[in-house]
Amino acid sequence: MIPASVQILHWSHYVAACLFALGMFGFLIRKNAIVVLMCIELMLNAVNLILVEVSMRSGHPEGLIFVIFIITVAAAEAAVGLGIILNLYRAKGTVNIDAFRELQG
Amino acid sequence: MDLTELSIVSIKTLLIYVAFIQVVPVMIWVERKGAALIQDRPGPNRVGPFGVFQPIADALKFLFKEDPVPKEVNRLLYNLGPFLILLPSSLIIAAIPVGDRVELFGRDILLQVADIDVALLFFLSISSLGVYGILFGGWASNNKYSLLGAMRSSSQVISYEIPIALSAANAVMFYGTFSLRQMVMQQEGVLLGFLPNWGIWFQPIGFLVLFVALFAETNRLPFDLPESEAELVGGYHTEYGSMKFAAFFMAEYINLATASALLVTLFFGGWHVPWLSDSWLLLKLGSQNVVALVQVAMFLAKISVLLCIFVWVRWTVPRFRFDQLMHLAWGNLIPLGLANIIVTAILLYFFEGR
Amino acid sequence: MREVFFMIFSIFTVLAALGVVVSRHAIFSAFSLVLAFFGLAILYLLWGTSFVSMLQILIYTGAIVVLFVFVVMLLDLKKEETLDSAKTGPLVMAGLSVWFFSLLILRALNRATYFKSTNVEAASDIKSISTLLFSKYLWGFEILSVFLLALIVSACVLARAEYMERKADQ
Repeated sequence: MIPASVQILHWSHYVAACLFALGMFGFLIRKNAIVVLMCIELMLNAVNLILVEVSMRSGHPEGLIFVIFIITVAAAEAAVGLGIILNLYRAKGTVNIDAFRELQG
Repeated sequence: MDLTELSIVSIKTLLIYVAFIQVVPVMIWVERKGAALIQDRPGPNRVGPFGVFQPIADALKFLFKEDPVPKEVNRLLYNLGPFLILLPSSLIIAAIPVGDRVELFGRDILLQVADIDVALLFFLSISSLGVYGILFGGWASNNKYSLLGAMRSSSQVISYEIPIALSAANAVMFYGTFSLRQMVMQQEGVLLGFLPNWGIWFQPIGFLVLFVALFAETNRLPFDLPESEAELVGGYHTEYGSMKFAAFFMAEYINLATASALLVTLFFGGWHVPWLSDSWLLLKLGSQNVVALVQVAMFLAKISVLLCIFVWVRWTVPRFRFDQLMHLAWGNLIPLGLANIIVTAILLYFFEGR
Repeated sequence: MREVFFMIFSIFTVLAALGVVVSRHAIFSAFSLVLAFFGLAILYLLWGTSFVSMLQILIYTGAIVVLFVFVVMLLDLKKEETLDSAKTGPLVMAGLSVWFFSLLILRALNRATYFKSTNVEAASDIKSISTLLFSKYLWGFEILSVFLLALIVSACVLARAEYMERKADQ
């Protein structure tokens, strides 16, 4: 199982760039807070893909450890983020992020 | 991968898959007969001797029924639901080692679809995908009972995945590998002169946690809150009819079979005949292929015993309340699993120096 | 073989990610997210990191997206906005910044010259990962566990606030 010789896999950071771009675009454009959180997850996953590529191409497992850390933090972020969204929904009756303007300082 | 190898793999896959699918009709009959036995009534007895052809009659009935699609449903997700639940339960079969190996056409063929190096993780992760069929099917049905069933299912599955993972982590620590095949290999022969060398003697608490949690993961009766017919009509499959309903049904039984296979693999020696080692069998029977046959029969026998226990529990134990269900997972099983991991780690450190 | 799989699943993943962004209803976004994560897991598998791939499926698709779907079901999202409601100005700004960032990523990665594919098998080995995790990165691991504890407490507080509110209403 040594896939590093397969040249086409070296294109995976282009895939990661696409994912990151899409995630960022959705993050900036969408108004639904839940979808915004999903887009953050997409960006995190793009980073994971790059880390896997770098780690496999350089032969160090360090990148995979950061992937594991990122997955853990992403799970935490999703849990707390969704909890906050639920509470915001209870307060406002909507998850449209435009409705939460009074939070800005 | 050349053509012969490819054809061997495809034939093997087909055989193992078809064999596992056969669990469904057999289990339908066993379940109905078992229920009848426990409730002291005759059960199905019209179709064939002792009603053994009842599953065929049931299947025909499902096939010829009208397939209703309610008006206000979300068509795409509604139709995807049954596939989404059937697909993961079928995928899991690939990781289960049903026997050691056979020698055919001058090749060694492993009796396992894929000898994955992280087979245990594969099992856990793919089985966790099964919840999407319930979730999307329940949501798309546009029915409050379906939605309630789907929501119960999601919280139940997330909660019970943790005890399963803890128990699996315990097994990984004990066997020192993620591969199910390697785990079975280590459970060969005799322990202390009179016990079969099974994992359950070394990790009884891990077995208990996994056994209870698998009931919840397969939506079987003490924990069948997502489809409890007394409260939610039919839960997530209320709006489904005909073969789509049958798909939910089939997935439940295949999940049951794979769950039993996991228990057998981790704790009951997998394909090994109790007390006997493979080399002794080979010496007595002469041919590796006959040994493989005996092993597969042994594996099936072990699975059947566990399936009967599943049926027995279903018709004896009453349903939990939802808060009791959550308390069992978070209050009992998870602390038990964590304590088990710590004790296992300490014992392994002192006795095996790992 | 691997090339074909890589092409199929990279396109699949990108299309699924596109689905997350453009779907009108949040539940279709969640569904696309499941597909995208599944495709990513297969890409990891093609790289030979089966452990990370399985973790991806187990944690992302098995737990995180289930949470997302759960919340989408819990809320009444009939008044869902669509992409059309976004104005042209923000759209252009977003597009520009995304373009800039993607160029940055690609530039950084394409210029990296430290890739030398030695010892690749050891890199994906579970034993080497866990050894590193419990030796060099032990502090990170411990901090992460404390962080998770804090997370559990905060999630409980978030849930309890709502419970207390309901109790005060009665």
